Amino acid sequence: MVGDRMTDDSTSSPRALAGVRVIDISSTPAAAWTSRLLADAGADVVLVEPIEGHPLRRTGPFTDGGDSVPEAQFLANKRSVTLDLDDAPARDVVRQLIENADVVVSSHSPRRLATLGFEYASFGLSDLIMTHVTPHGMTGALAEVPGNDLTVAARSGWASINGNDDREPLKPAAWTSSCCAGIAAYAATVAALRWRDQHPGEGQEVDVAETEVMAATFAPGMLRSLYTGKAQGRHSSDDQLAGPVPVADGHFALTLSRAHFWRDAMNLLGLEDLAEDERYGASWFRQSHREEYSGRVAEAMAKWNKMDLFEELAIRRVVAGPVLGMGELRATDHLEVRGYWRRPADDPDGPEYPGPAYQMTETPQTLDRRAPRAGEHNDEVLGVIADAGGAR
Amino acid sequence: MSGPLAGTRGIVLTQAWAGSWCTSLLGQLGADVVQIEVRKRPDSWRGDYAAPIPSQVRDRPTAEHPWNCNPLYNSVNLEKRCITLDLGTVEGMAVFKRLLPLADFCAENFSPRVLGNFGITYEQMREIKADIVLASLSAYGHSGPWTNIPGIGGTIEPSSGMSGLLGYEDGPPLNSGQMFPDAIAALNGCAAIITALRHRDLSGQGQYIDLSMMESSLAAVGDAYLEYSMTGRQRPRLGNHHPSLAPHSIYPTRSEDGEEQWIAIACEDDAQWAALDEIAGQRWAQDSRFATNAARKQHEGDLDAAIAAWTATQDRDDLAARLSAAGVIAASVLDALELSEDANLRERGVIREIDHPEAGVFPQVTLPMHFSRTQPDAPRPAPQQGQHNHEVLAELLGMSEAEVDALIASGVSGGGPPD
Repeated sequence: MVGDRMTDDSTSSPRALAGVRVIDISSTPAAAWTSRLLADAGADVVLVEPIEGHPLRRTGPFTDGGDSVPEAQFLANKRSVTLDLDDAPARDVVRQLIENADVVVSSHSPRRLATLGFEYASFGLSDLIMTHVTPHGMTGALAEVPGNDLTVAARSGWASINGNDDREPLKPAAWTSSCCAGIAAYAATVAALRWRDQHPGEGQEVDVAETEVMAATFAPGMLRSLYTGKAQGRHSSDDQLAGPVPVADGHFALTLSRAHFWRDAMNLLGLEDLAEDERYGASWFRQSHREEYSGRVAEAMAKWNKMDLFEELAIRRVVAGPVLGMGELRATDHLEVRGYWRRPADDPDGPEYPGPAYQMTETPQTLDRRAPRAGEHNDEVLGVIADAGGAR
Repeated sequence: MSGPLAGTRGIVLTQAWAGSWCTSLLGQLGADVVQIEVRKRPDSWRGDYAAPIPSQVRDRPTAEHPWNCNPLYNSVNLEKRCITLDLGTVEGMAVFKRLLPLADFCAENFSPRVLGNFGITYEQMREIKADIVLASLSAYGHSGPWTNIPGIGGTIEPSSGMSGLLGYEDGPPLNSGQMFPDAIAALNGCAAIITALRHRDLSGQGQYIDLSMMESSLAAVGDAYLEYSMTGRQRPRLGNHHPSLAPHSIYPTRSEDGEEQWIAIACEDDAQWAALDEIAGQRWAQDSRFATNAARKQHEGDLDAAIAAWTATQDRDDLAARLSAAGVIAASVLDALELSEDANLRERGVIREIDHPEAGVFPQVTLPMHFSRTQPDAPRPAPQQGQHNHEVLAELLGMSEAEVDALIASGVSGGGPPD
């Protein structure tokens, strides 16, 4: 049923998930990232979306020409068919697609799946893996409660520590919570595939909750708070040790977490008396006496450009980081040399994408396709059943 | 051993957060993960050997060793076994090289030069175990001009583009409250190793994974790079706002005892907005500034002020429950201690009481993945330093108690500060 994958990539390396067929019936960024990662690893991902298109197609930011950035990012590398899950004949087509698939990716709540008749058991496919990526999971009191990156930040503890202590809590930037959930769901899905390889016929359901993944990434903050009896809070806005501070051409993070970082950085900044004061070798002393040096350090740092400071501190093996914008990142030799940037194989003149999160020597991730138009692959994927199933 | 990775073994050289949590996740998924630690340079997340024991732990009679009572270490090493080996000695390296053939994967997050200094680069490991999967998690990756520049989560966050996106709309770039890039790297490292293990099973071929924390962090905000690529524009800091939806922010709620309380509220469609308006009873929907999502986005400052004035009169948890029941996207902002008591995470078995032999019983966040067929058991606590020296070396290498004792007596193995 699902047509052969058509690729025109330039690499001949094997794909880690070659031959794995995925049907994505989801509608959220977290689930979309799950299937995007499966596609990057070589799976054939068919996105099933409503006639009006996946919600990310209507989500900003947009280009001046009205193109959605999230659509381009989250839906790339997939094929698209338009089938309305609320339409019974279309659901039958989706069911046929699933019968020929290895993995289903869903973001629907238990009640919604029941309404659709798409519960895992309903497929009667012992080797099917069905991966649920939802805000709160498929069981428990919150299974039907809606959520997104904002509420995930609130429920996971992260918002309580992001931002300044005299202002409101902050969610993590962009869709990072969704991406973390997507990575976890990808990992769990591949683990389930590997289990099925070893135990034929043993598919299963995988249940990944966005809130739980982010709570797990918060684990150090939670246990530290429990061990000390005090909930970790947000940093003061004048805490130079907690994050970026101004320099001549932007901002720069000088974390100074070790004694020799402090000593070498202060010497470089021309603050030899601070460097030589042995009391500052202790982390607790640096933290509790910030007012004694913060003004001088700020004044000294303001004379530096961030890349100059980064290079000088790197020579001294002091960990430090310039705040870089996307244009500056594009201009770094480092990412260029590592071959980080890429364009879809089928759209060499299209927008440039960031690379994968990790490099694999034998099965490198590939970006074969730009994001499809809604229903772009109806004929290719659905073939002779297109007319019968409500596909447009 | 249970879980989808049962029957898989890792011999790992990880430390701090990224590598440690990566391999703990693999352990919680069922792999037998043996952590090798060097007493001369203990895991930095164990803290200094002489560090004070945290206040809620120090009075427990079992809390003898600060390095076994560090919440950072204990939070990201669940389910692993720990042995100590001085890899700088001939004897220690010999033991490592006997263990490696018994491993399916290895992971490390040293600076890029260290494996070479030890004589155990990927190529050298392959001579010992031809199909080994090795994952290196480093600041900037194992190639390129920045490969030897040191970095930690707090400096990768700015250099990866993340800090430039985090912050208030009228404020400077910020780092997250703890080093988020480590956690992102850990999740990716776990994903990469599982992928490589499956490929090895099918092909007989191991491989090398080069994970740059910078690149994994940038990939997690990759839509912001793509926005630059598509428009030439750097995305501004958005605070809690969404690029195209409103309302979407965090608002103050009534405080009974002087402690701050906050609620997150977002509407992704008109039905949610109508539900919010009805519960608020403020007739916002009749205000032309707030009639449509586009209008609300245009007047977001006014919208936020109106919502905040109302939420400040409301009880946080009661309001979150009422809004959620009505289909509005809403949640209380939990602090770390409230999170540890979260009923839903406890019911689903993600937050569990973990009994650590020295630190005692505390709630901990465990594996955030659920499997209908291969659900793992509850994890073991993080290991004490060298806790499994005898167990692992006897079980895997058949070493006698006397042989292990000799390693300990010579300082190659053991526990605690080196003699």
